[in-house]
Amino acid sequence: MPKRVDKIIMENSDVIIKHWLEIVSERRKNDYTSSISEELFQSTNREFVNVIFDSLETKGLTDELEAFSERLVNLGWPLSYLTDGLQTFRRVTIDFVLSQHDQIDTDFFSVILDRVDSWVDPIINKLVNEYSGNWEHTVSLQRVALQELSAPLIPVMRNITIMPLIGTIDTERAKLIMENLLDGVIKHNAEVVLIDITGVPVVDTMVAHHIIQAAEAVRLIGSTCILVGIRPEIAQTIVNLGIDLGKFPTKSSLRKGFETALELTGRTIHREKKKEKIVENIMASLEKE
Amino acid sequence: MRIPILKLQNYLLISIQIDLDDQSAIQFQEDLLNKIHKSGATGVVIDLTSVDIIDSFIAKVLGDVVTMSDLMGARVVLTGIQPAVAMTLIELGIHMQDVQTALDLEQGLIKLRQELEG
Repeated sequence: MPKRVDKIIMENSDVIIKHWLEIVSERRKNDYTSSISEELFQSTNREFVNVIFDSLETKGLTDELEAFSERLVNLGWPLSYLTDGLQTFRRVTIDFVLSQHDQIDTDFFSVILDRVDSWVDPIINKLVNEYSGNWEHTVSLQRVALQELSAPLIPVMRNITIMPLIGTIDTERAKLIMENLLDGVIKHNAEVVLIDITGVPVVDTMVAHHIIQAAEAVRLIGSTCILVGIRPEIAQTIVNLGIDLGKFPTKSSLRKGFETALELTGRTIHREKKKEKIVENIMASLEKE
Repeated sequence: MRIPILKLQNYLLISIQIDLDDQSAIQFQEDLLNKIHKSGATGVVIDLTSVDIIDSFIAKVLGDVVTMSDLMGARVVLTGIQPAVAMTLIELGIHMQDVQTALDLEQGLIKLRQELEG
């Protein structure tokens, strides 16, 4: 009996495809794929339906299906296009097979359902797996990229190092920050390390706690930590939350922090007065004449 | 095993190169205080570069040694605390607030001299 169902479907594939294409095109009007060109949409539909019928003929998943799904993933077609399409296909097929028979008993009905399900379901599974695998891959790549960006350390001068922090800080990142900070201090032999929190949008108790811990650890290994880039709103939150940052120096901007760092390492900024000297020389030579 | 304590002018230099257990830590505390008493040293540098583990007891002993030495008129600087050790201490809630630290022996000596002379 299952053979008969297959035979009906194969022999009338044209009718089923026509019917399916009609429904899919009809549904398309108010739908997520409306930004895709008509031509591309039609050709993809035809290819899609061919792939489905191929897998019926070969009784299993085909290379074409794999290639097709891979291409759609890369093109960024919505997953719902495929799942909706297959669900529509299932409905159309069952309707068609039923309409070929005047009298249907429950046994035959369940055979039809079983047959069509065992055909369509593996395809749905395959496509969903393909899509979710692709997404997971993207997420893991982004996680690695984020980790690389999360705690950079810049040695700007002998014994002075800066760590600019951008974005929110969670526990995982705080740990990474602490590790990178301490290893960097040892590696660059930094006497002073500046933590710049200009790019940290919110400083709550947890973030403050992590920063304080990092600063304490830096002090223990024998270096000084200056917290810079404290914006007015951050200063207000810190005081309102009752966080005590009094134990280590803080500065409003990186510039001021850097000046303090220079002081701590026994250096000052000296501006050469070349321009003024030139003017003075000219004046002197004028006076001589 | 006893930890050697070296005298250099009026400084004492100690490099701890074993993982301290409770016994040797207490022994070290006694030895150091005796040495300060005998030599009249005004500065002490304890180098912890090769120490990989410091537990809460050792941290307490070290903190006590610093306070005791201070009482006897010798400033103490701890140098070369490893990042991993620092992280563990902070996680244990041991902040060693009153202890002076420096990156290495050289910086430690500079710090001591600044404090004693300046």
